[in-house]
Amino acid sequence: MRVFASLRSVLSALFHRSLVENEVEEELRAHIQDRANDLERSGVPRAEAKRRARLEFGGYQKFKEECREAQGTHFLETLIQDLRFGLRMLRKSPGFTAVAILTLALAIGANTAIFSIVYGVLLAPLPYRDASKLVVLNETTPRVGNVSVSYPNFLDWRAQNRSFSQMAYVAQMGFNLAGAGVSQPENIAGDSVSPNFLSMMGVRPVLGRDFEPAEGESGTQRVLLLSYQLWQSHFGADRNVIGRSITLDGNDFVIIGVLPADFRPLDRTDVMLPIGVWATNNRSATERGERGDSTVVGRLAPGAALTQAHAEMEGITAGLAKEYPAANDQFGVRLRPIRDAFVGNLQTEILVLFAAVMFVLLIASANVANLFLIRGAARSKEIALRIAVGASRWRIIRQLLTESFVLAFLGGVLGLGFAFAGIRLMTRLIPQETLGGASIGLNGAVLLFTAGVVVLAAVVFGMAPAAHSAKWDVQAELKEGGRTAGVGAAQNRLRGMLAVAEISLALVLLAGAGLMLKSLYRLINVNPGFQPDRVLTMEMYLSSQRYSQDPAVLNFWRQVLDGVRSLPGVESAALGNHIPLTGDHGRTDITIEGMALPKPGSFPHPDVHTVSPDYIRTLGMVLQRGRTFTDADNATAPPVALVNEKLARQYWPNEDPVGKRFMWGRFDPASKDAHKWVTVVGVVDDTKMYGLANPSRLEVYAPLLQEVNNDMDLVVKSRLDPSALTSEIRSVVAAVDKDQPIFAIATMNKIMSDDVAAPRLTLVLLGLFSALAVMLAAIGIYGVISYSVAQRTHEIGVRMSLGAQPRDVLRMVLGQGGKIALVGIAIGIIAAFGLTRLMSGLLFSVSASDPGTFAAVAGLLVFVALVACYIPARRAMRVDPMVALRYE
Amino acid sequence: MPEHAQILPGTLDLLILKAVSLGPLYGYGILLRIEQISQGALLIEQGALYPALFRLVRQGLLKAHWDTSENNRRTKFYELTAAGRKRLRQEEDGWNRLVAAIASALKAQPEET
Repeated sequence: MRVFASLRSVLSALFHRSLVENEVEEELRAHIQDRANDLERSGVPRAEAKRRARLEFGGYQKFKEECREAQGTHFLETLIQDLRFGLRMLRKSPGFTAVAILTLALAIGANTAIFSIVYGVLLAPLPYRDASKLVVLNETTPRVGNVSVSYPNFLDWRAQNRSFSQMAYVAQMGFNLAGAGVSQPENIAGDSVSPNFLSMMGVRPVLGRDFEPAEGESGTQRVLLLSYQLWQSHFGADRNVIGRSITLDGNDFVIIGVLPADFRPLDRTDVMLPIGVWATNNRSATERGERGDSTVVGRLAPGAALTQAHAEMEGITAGLAKEYPAANDQFGVRLRPIRDAFVGNLQTEILVLFAAVMFVLLIASANVANLFLIRGAARSKEIALRIAVGASRWRIIRQLLTESFVLAFLGGVLGLGFAFAGIRLMTRLIPQETLGGASIGLNGAVLLFTAGVVVLAAVVFGMAPAAHSAKWDVQAELKEGGRTAGVGAAQNRLRGMLAVAEISLALVLLAGAGLMLKSLYRLINVNPGFQPDRVLTMEMYLSSQRYSQDPAVLNFWRQVLDGVRSLPGVESAALGNHIPLTGDHGRTDITIEGMALPKPGSFPHPDVHTVSPDYIRTLGMVLQRGRTFTDADNATAPPVALVNEKLARQYWPNEDPVGKRFMWGRFDPASKDAHKWVTVVGVVDDTKMYGLANPSRLEVYAPLLQEVNNDMDLVVKSRLDPSALTSEIRSVVAAVDKDQPIFAIATMNKIMSDDVAAPRLTLVLLGLFSALAVMLAAIGIYGVISYSVAQRTHEIGVRMSLGAQPRDVLRMVLGQGGKIALVGIAIGIIAAFGLTRLMSGLLFSVSASDPGTFAAVAGLLVFVALVACYIPARRAMRVDPMVALRYE
Repeated sequence: MPEHAQILPGTLDLLILKAVSLGPLYGYGILLRIEQISQGALLIEQGALYPALFRLVRQGLLKAHWDTSENNRRTKFYELTAAGRKRLRQEEDGWNRLVAAIASALKAQPEET
C-alpha cells in the first residue's frame, strides 16, 4: 500500500536522523575519552583527567548543536518544521480552518463515493481470464431490437466463424426448488451453458468438477453446479455436497460442483446446468425460429479484433438469413465487450455524476483558495517580514503549499468518513442488479484516487496564493504596514475571477440537476396505462410434473383465484403473463386477416399476454372499446383477443378493430389445415411494458382459458394496504399445492418506483451536488464582496460624507457582486450548453438545452448571488462616515 | 614551554586541511597533529574542531568514513578530497601572500618629512 510505503520512508528518514545524531555524540565522546586517557598517561589522576578533558573540550551541547547545523538541515526536517508551523497557523484561525476543511471534506467525500462506483462498475477487473477478449452476442431484429439467440443459429455461428476461439451458449432458466430438505418452496434462477463455458471464461469450480463435453448433448444426465451463495445458504457450505441431489421442478439433479464465490454471472445464477439438460425435450434446441431467453458469449481468437469479428458475424448472420428466411429474415447480430453487458446504460449516469463531483471539487478548491487569499492578505506582513530577514521566496511558497496540503489532507481524512457513510447509503439505495453485481466500497484503488484528489485540491487551491505570494513587494508591505497591505488590484482581480469560476461551475451543475428534475417529473407523470395503487403482484411458475396437462394447470389457477378473491379486503384478483415493467415478454408473429403477406421478418410481432377475465379491471387498464374477457371465453368458445391501441391504429387505421380477425403465426396459403382465426373483441390503452421512458409496443391479450400458461403473475387489487395480504395469499397457495413457490412479490407502486430508481438516484445525487455547489459559490461571492467592503470602508465613508445615500452605497456593492454573478452566469450558460448535451441520453422528453431550465437556474443563481452580496452591502450602508474616516 | 597564541578566525579550516593532508586522521588525532606541527604554539578550543569538520565535509573538502582504529574502536576518519587538496593550496598561497604583505608593512620605516 502506497500510504504505508510513504509512512515507512518518513519513519526511516527520522530514524536515520537520530542515527546521525548518535554518531555525532559518539565522535565527540571519543575525543574527550582520548584526551582523558592521554592526560592520565601523563600522570594526571583519573578523575582529574576526566574533568580536564571535558573542560578543554568546551561547551559540549553547543558544539553538538553546531555540528548538527553545519551538516545542513534535512529536507524532511524542514518539512516537519513547515508542518508544525502550518498546523499552528491553522489552529490560530479555527474559523477559517473549520470552513476550509469542511468544504474540502464534502467535496473529497463526494468524489470518493462516486469514484467507488466508477471503479466498481467501470474499472474493476472482471473475475475472468483475459476478460477484454470476451464478447457477448445476441440477435437483433428491427421490429423489436435486441433479442435472444436461436440455438441452431448458435451452432452455425460456432461452426462458421474464425474470429472466436471459443463460443458458448447461455440459456436462462427458472426452477422451483422444493422437496426434501427445503423448508419453503422457492424459485431459483439457473443458467444452462455449453460445457466449455466455464473453461472459456477462465473459471474453475471451487469444489467438484466442470462440465464434460458429452453433457452438451440432449438426453444427458441431470447434473448441476451450485452457486457459492446457494451452497452457503442451503447446504451450510458442506464439502460433502458433491454427489448429493437437489430437487428442481420435481426432478432430481446430481450436484457435481460449486462455483467460486467471486463468479460474476451475466444474470442471477443460483445453479448452473450443462446445455444438454436444457436441450432435452426442448423445442428451442432444434427449432431455428425459437428464441428463448439466452445469450452467447465468445472469446476472441488471438489477434482478432472486435470490429473484425463483427464484420464476420454480420456476414454469417446474413448467410443464415438467406438460407433460413422463415426463421432468420431480417435478423442481425450485435456484439459487445462483456464489460458493456455488465455496465449497460449506467455508464452515462456514472460519468455525469463523476463530472459533477469533479465540478464540486473545483468549486470547493476555488473557495478555499479564496479563503487563503483573504488570509494571505492578513498574513502578508508576517510573510514580508520573513522574506526581509532572509527566507527565500521558494521557502515561503513551500511553507504555504505545506499548509495547503495539511488542510487538504485533513479534509481528505474527514472526506473519507463522509464517503464511507455515503457509499453505505448508496449501495443500500441502488438495487444490486442495477450495478451488475459490481462490488462498491473503499478499496485500495479508491483510496489511491482519494489521495490523488487531495493532492489535486491542494495544488489547485494552494497554487494561487503561493504564486501570488511570490510577487509580494516586501518594501511596500513593510513600509505601508497598514491594513491595505498585500491587497493589490491584481489580487482582487484574482479573487473576483475565482468567484466567477465558482458561479459558472455551479451553473453547469445546477443546469444538469434542473434538466434531470424536469426529466424525472415528466417521467413519473407518464401515463403507464394502468393504475398501480393498491395492487399487489407475485409470480408463480407451475413447473412440476403434476402440471404437465392443461386441466391441472387451469385447475390450480382457478383454485388460487377463488381462494384469493374470498380473502377479506380483496377487491379483485386476476392472472396475467406478464405484468408491465418486469422484464421481457413473449412475442409471436401474427397474420392480420386480409393483409398483404409480408416477408417472413416483417409480420406483426406483438407481445402476447395470456390473462384471466378480471386482469384489465384489476390493473386499472382502460378498455377503449368492445369488451374484456369472461369465463365464457374458454377452450370450446371461438378464440378471442384484445389488442392495444397502437396495434389497432397500425393495422386497422380508421376502422373499428372490434370484430376484426387475425391468426397466430404466419399465414401459409399452401397449408391444408383450417386457418384458426382469432376475433378482436376489444381495444385497451397502451401500457408501458418496458419502462416508463420507453415507447409502447404492439400488445395482444388472449384469454387464459384459451391459451393455457403455467407461468403467471397474480395481481390483486386490495381495499387497503395490499402488502398486508401477502401471508394470507401464501396460505391460499399452500392449501392448493404446498410445494408451489411464490416469488417476485411486490406492489405495483414499488415496481413503478423501481423503474425510475436509477434516474431518481441520479437526480438526488446531482441535486445534492449542485446544492453544495451553489452554497459554496454563494459563500465564495459573499467572501469576495464582504472583503471588498471591508477594504473600502474608508472610501465608502468618504463618499457618504460627501453626500452619497445608503441607497447609492447599496447599489454600488450589489453592482460589484452582480457583475461577478452575471459574468459567471454567462460563462456558465455557454459551458452548460456544451456539457449538458453529454447527458441527453439520461433525459426523458426534455431537450439538453431546455431554455426554461436554463433560465430558471440562471435566475436562481442571480437571486442567490444577490442575497450573498446583500449581507455585506447592508454592512456597507451602515458605515458611519466619522468612524470610517477616523479609522484611517 | 612555548607561548600560546589564539588562532585567528578563519584559520582553523586551513589548519585542519593542512593536518589532514599529511594522511587520514580521526578527530582527536587532528588536534594532536595541529599541536605537533605548530609545536604547541597554537591553542584550539577543542570542541570547535568538530563543527568545522562537519562544515568541511559538507563543502566537499573532506570526506569521512567510519573504520576501526588501532586500539580497535569504531572511529570516524577524515581525509582530503581532490577539492580539499586544491583548496589547501589556494589557502596556503593566500595566507603566505597575506603574511608577506603584513610583514613588509610592519617592516616599513617612518618616512622623513
